[in-house]
Amino acid sequence: MKIYNKIILVFSLSLMGISCSKDRLNEDSAGVLTADLLYTTKAGFENGLNGLYSEVRRYRSGNVLNQINNIMNIQAVIGVDNAYGNYRDPQVDVFNLWKTINQPGFSQYSRVFAWLYETINAANTIVDRSANPAIDWTDAEKNRIVAEARTIRAWCYRHLTYLWGDVPLTLEESRGNNIKTNWTRTPRAEVRKAMEADWLFAEQYLPDVATSDAKLIKGIPQHYLAELYLATGEYDKAKTEALKVINNPSYKLITVRYGVNATKPGTPFTDMFIDGNSKRSQGNTEALWVIQNELLVPGGEGNTIMRRYWVNRYYSIKVGTKSPFLISAENGGRGLGRLGPTRFALNLYATNDDRGSDFAFRHYYLINNPVGIPTGTNPRTGMAYRLGDTIFLDKTGLEKLSNPNWPSPTKWDYSQPAPLDVVDQEYNDQVFLRLGETYLVLAEANFRLNDLQGAADAINILRNRARATPITAGQVTIDFILDERSRELFSEEDRRYALLRTGRWLQRTQLYNKIAGPNIVERDTILPIPQDVIDANLTSPMRQNPGYF
Amino acid sequence: MLFSTWIRKLSLLFFAGFLCLPACLYAQTTTIKGRVTDADGKPLQGVSVNLKRSNSGAITTGNGLYILSFTKKGGDVLVFSSAEFIDQEIVVGSDAEVNVQLERNAQSLTDVVVVGYGTQRRKDVTGSVVSLDKQRLESMPNSNVLQAMEGAVAGLNINTNGGGAEGNNVSIVIRGQKSINGNRSPLIILDGIPYNGSISDINPSDIGSVDILKDASALAIYGAKSANGVILVTTKKGSGGKPVISYDGYFGSQQYDNLPPILMGDDFYNFKITREPTSITSSELAYYNSKKYTNWLDLATRKGSSSQHTLGIRGGNSSVKYYASLSLLDVKGIAINDKFKRLSSRINLDINITNWLTYGTNTQLSFNDRSGLSPTFSGDYGAYLFNPLTTPYDSAGKLTVYPWPEDTYFENPLAPTLAKSRDNTYKLFTTNYLQVKLPFVPGLSYRLNTGIEYQNRDVKTYFGRNTRRGLLAGGSLTQSDNISKNYTIENILNYDRSFNKHNLGFTGLYSYEEDVITNNGLSAENFPNDVLTFYQASVASLVTPSASLAKETTISQMARLNYNYDSRYLLTLTGRRDGYSGFGESEKFSFFPSIAVGWNISNEKFFESNKIVDDLKLRLSYGSNGNTAVTPYQTLAKLSNLTYVDGQTTAAGYIPTSFANPLLRWETSTTGNIGLDFSIIHRRLSGSLDYYHTNTHDLLLNRSVSSVQGITEITQNIGKTSNQGFELSLSSTNFRTQDFSWSSTANLTINRNKIVDLYGNGLSDTLNQWFIGKPINVRFGYENAGVWQINDDTANTPQGLVRPGYAKVRDVNGDGIITGADRTIIGNIQPKFTWGLSNTFTYKNISLYVFAYGVQGSHEVNTLMSDNNVNSGVRYTTVVKNWWTLTNPTNDYYGNIVGANSKSAGIVQNSSFVRIRDISLSYDFAGRLLEKAGLSKFRVYLQTRNPFTFTKWTGLDPEFTSQTTVPLQKEFLVGLNVSL
Repeated sequence: MKIYNKIILVFSLSLMGISCSKDRLNEDSAGVLTADLLYTTKAGFENGLNGLYSEVRRYRSGNVLNQINNIMNIQAVIGVDNAYGNYRDPQVDVFNLWKTINQPGFSQYSRVFAWLYETINAANTIVDRSANPAIDWTDAEKNRIVAEARTIRAWCYRHLTYLWGDVPLTLEESRGNNIKTNWTRTPRAEVRKAMEADWLFAEQYLPDVATSDAKLIKGIPQHYLAELYLATGEYDKAKTEALKVINNPSYKLITVRYGVNATKPGTPFTDMFIDGNSKRSQGNTEALWVIQNELLVPGGEGNTIMRRYWVNRYYSIKVGTKSPFLISAENGGRGLGRLGPTRFALNLYATNDDRGSDFAFRHYYLINNPVGIPTGTNPRTGMAYRLGDTIFLDKTGLEKLSNPNWPSPTKWDYSQPAPLDVVDQEYNDQVFLRLGETYLVLAEANFRLNDLQGAADAINILRNRARATPITAGQVTIDFILDERSRELFSEEDRRYALLRTGRWLQRTQLYNKIAGPNIVERDTILPIPQDVIDANLTSPMRQNPGYF
Repeated sequence: MLFSTWIRKLSLLFFAGFLCLPACLYAQTTTIKGRVTDADGKPLQGVSVNLKRSNSGAITTGNGLYILSFTKKGGDVLVFSSAEFIDQEIVVGSDAEVNVQLERNAQSLTDVVVVGYGTQRRKDVTGSVVSLDKQRLESMPNSNVLQAMEGAVAGLNINTNGGGAEGNNVSIVIRGQKSINGNRSPLIILDGIPYNGSISDINPSDIGSVDILKDASALAIYGAKSANGVILVTTKKGSGGKPVISYDGYFGSQQYDNLPPILMGDDFYNFKITREPTSITSSELAYYNSKKYTNWLDLATRKGSSSQHTLGIRGGNSSVKYYASLSLLDVKGIAINDKFKRLSSRINLDINITNWLTYGTNTQLSFNDRSGLSPTFSGDYGAYLFNPLTTPYDSAGKLTVYPWPEDTYFENPLAPTLAKSRDNTYKLFTTNYLQVKLPFVPGLSYRLNTGIEYQNRDVKTYFGRNTRRGLLAGGSLTQSDNISKNYTIENILNYDRSFNKHNLGFTGLYSYEEDVITNNGLSAENFPNDVLTFYQASVASLVTPSASLAKETTISQMARLNYNYDSRYLLTLTGRRDGYSGFGESEKFSFFPSIAVGWNISNEKFFESNKIVDDLKLRLSYGSNGNTAVTPYQTLAKLSNLTYVDGQTTAAGYIPTSFANPLLRWETSTTGNIGLDFSIIHRRLSGSLDYYHTNTHDLLLNRSVSSVQGITEITQNIGKTSNQGFELSLSSTNFRTQDFSWSSTANLTINRNKIVDLYGNGLSDTLNQWFIGKPINVRFGYENAGVWQINDDTANTPQGLVRPGYAKVRDVNGDGIITGADRTIIGNIQPKFTWGLSNTFTYKNISLYVFAYGVQGSHEVNTLMSDNNVNSGVRYTTVVKNWWTLTNPTNDYYGNIVGANSKSAGIVQNSSFVRIRDISLSYDFAGRLLEKAGLSKFRVYLQTRNPFTFTKWTGLDPEFTSQTTVPLQKEFLVGLNVSL
């Protein structure tokens, strides 16, 4: 019986040991980072900002996180007067063919929409949680952090309002206990008021220059405010904001050669786009916002695909039966040529304009394939083709599909040395917003204020830098400003937005884009609300844009 | 390897010894007597003892004794048979006394079944509990137990989702899908303890029995995790008596069963230039002009092989029973380089330490080797649809890095076979118990049950510069070290007592379970060379480590009361309360009650005169079960890592990507079940019929929500679903003579599920494709309605301007325009019914076993029936279709025209099928030769698995979820079972 007692004692103890442990059901989430843990210190908020910068970088990456197909920004850059989809894929097709395939179920729209609102929510989280009094930071630090978050939030609404018009406005962190199925579309004017408030706040608290190239600076919200005022018709304010940027001594146009290629042939304009030159810390005084990538550094893999999309497939060019060009760093790296300039865009440049020079666009390639040297005589040399011979691209026709024999911009050139020149990814830093564009915003504001001389002056600053012939006040029209934007900002700007803002998208695209022009109608000036957003609004039907089903 | 060689030698030795035995023939009259008992040693009355192929026979008396005289002819065999027990044959030797222990027949109503936290006589069970036919477990090439269960149990729907050496791509659903997105797999209890590991880690030849709990009452004892059913797997136990050493082994070969008709050579070339005339590249053209094409699938597959060797020992005495085994499984799959090896050992011990204390252990050690990567079958580099006009090998016979020189996006589908790969899993799974008969109260006992699972999976992969991904990364290493630990402690109090005709049983439980999974990973790239592969992360230019932790805990209390009066009126009451760490602060605990009653009608006085029906039992049960269906940390607002870079410095970044849901709680199912168990005509035919209705509410759903919220998914408790169905199981001896017998088992399952409600407002949810009143799993989209023909008014169609040859989309609402509102349910993958049928024919020592199963009335979108998959530029091939052309104005399939199906209207096909799963022909050596060899069993068999499939489906396999995966394998094998 003694042993019985002992055993019973041991077991009952073990029973009790477990039963007293209800707190064993509390989750051990040591490996999980939650919002409640992160946004409690200044460092945590900085991490939150880094997340936002990453989100912004995705604008030039694939529309699925960490993927390198279907560039996020395509709807803003092709299907316009100066660019079209050269190499087809289902995504490119929509902005060439429009009509029935420009429809709410197109996955690009739902991905762009979701990405923008994901970014907005991340920014809202920072803004909301910065109110926590327990955070140990100075007012200046707090305001600067909130200013960065609000700048990016308004930047997201800028895309949403240009693309879809009225969109739901949400300025608070989304919570699991408040899932809404009755979103309503806020009038665009109201959304723009919120954007204005965000950028005005940011203007107040962001520094002229930052200690790091990642951080946002005052010029960014000011530039976007100026652009916003153009859209809202407040041209005086637009001019004021643009001038604040232009007159800020921290921001200066690049007018002389600089940086890593300074001693090689080139132009001041194109120096900005060379890897190693793009950031302010690398001497690019014109840059307001630069997105960063870095080879072999965690976080440096942004899956940016500007080169992939803009550099043409020169390696597919045939001369006779030969393929004279191989992928190489000299040729800009491996491109897919999905996007390309229209004939119209190429014709905009006078011969003396640096922005249309051989440094800014590929007009020719040098034979670099030892086994692909064309047979016969090179008409340019009168001798047999040799390695290193120049072969000019055929620019005589109109833009057409699947055409490797067509110029492409060099702004996005990047390649690792062979054999890694075929790598899909690119690791160069990229100019995202620069003072040059602010001058064009100023020109537009001056034009709207009937100050044609002021408009011409602003434009001539850029033309002089590019060694193009200056213009007179009499030459300034809204179309000229749009032409100048194309010359200066080809493939950089959100072309569609500038055309929509000036009311010129439909007509100019019909006139100048031979692929998309015949297919677009008034309906296409505004995109369809994505089907999944419509479907998710279970308890209150969301209004679709006119003409879409 | 060494072990299998040794086993091969041993079996040879056996065989040689058997051949060398001198045959001696002489006749004499002999008398044999003995005692027949059951496994517990209780004497059995009424067992017939017959001499095979003669008229001599006897019946055992009340003490289980028999006596039998006959003329000895040599090779004489005694057959012991009784309805409730498995027949046993004993070769007559020189002994005058032959004592026999009979094992209970699994299908018999009086059998003991495992019901969770104990066993019960089948006769007294009130819930719906099914045992797997033992035939499915023995002598079958099952690499895991689920393969044995496929199609074999009513209400249990096992689906083979894909092929492969390991054969583990299998999913299980009991009584239809209840949860919409949540966990649908049943709980597996291995030797009494919840098993979380891979099903591949359990050696099927160690398994003694499999019981499946289906209704609320049977399941309620497993409470919160039981809503999807419970599978109780019990490994073999030691038997009292002299040691029996057994060897089971087989060798087999494998080949693929079916491949979809892929466009090759000329056909692909013509397809491509018809579709996009300028898309053909010069290397494709050169390849085509040289009359070559590459059949990538051919290169990626091979004739596979499989072998398994298991050596087992069981025996014991009155105080110790033991079972030990050592097993080696070695499969070379039909995909090249697809290998699976498992070495496992097991020891099961039951020790009666004193008359009041018992200790037992079931312990398995296993080692799995999955090293070696097979070719890519699906995805962008998948062998199925890879461009056939590309080059697999270079002039030196090495795999090309870029099989398509103009399109360097493509990696060689065979590239993974060049990777250096190690994938090893070491696992310990041990359950131990201590049982104490408590003093003072007769019938009261305490049991401490513990389970410990420890697993380490070590995966390393290195792609060198001879592959595209290795070349571009300068060598690419990924490794992960995954450790999972699980322990369970159960305190069980049992009370079992009979007072006159009142039989009372009580089980009380308090248990704690903890699961911890940690993972340490590393990816590295850019190495100086490819020499050191796994061992050079320190010199990589980019090293990215990762680490994760997932921990969950469960606390449970359970009480069960069994009462029966005279084995006529049965009652079971169960209540279980579970607490789970993954739920919200205030929602952690929930209570799951159930009640069940049974009536053994055949035990009633008025029934005694019935000569036809032997057993008849009515069962009724009602109760609720839970489903955790979530992974840990779902209540928290988690952030995702979205790292940025500043200069050369990593800038850690995060954004919110999940919602917090502090109200997350159990998903609960309530089931009513009515069942009938019967056996008739001297138990020649027995079976069960069940009808059930399950309502599930508070479903744990991963619900897609408006992207305006910035986070597009949330896990919530939402909605109601219902499942109802019939299940029929039959087991019959169709025909029986002295030499020949034919028996069958059959099962039929009919299940209907539907969504009853979602958000309480009667609205369906198009975004999530959940429709009220419809089954949970439907295919939703535009419906193909044939092809626009040349005589149609193609300028004015609901689709706008189309061309002849374009796919016609059905205008569902008839408003004359195709809009989002015309999307409809186009496929219902819920079958009308599923069935399984096994037939066993035995003639003398030869036995033929045929097992077939089928799924009827399911419809699925055949994803291969799409030309959109070829991509712009016709970068992929496709399957052969009956394309529309001007001269072939079919409605089967639209024309080979870019944009012909811009609405992506899917092609739906009937995915019903009938599959002959196993045919097995075996020969049991019996008689004198066996005896002289000192063997108690020597059986050889030939078997084929998956020999025939009948279906209208034109894809890879109607049962597979992916139509571009490793194909299903047909197997042919020869096997041997020896015992001494």
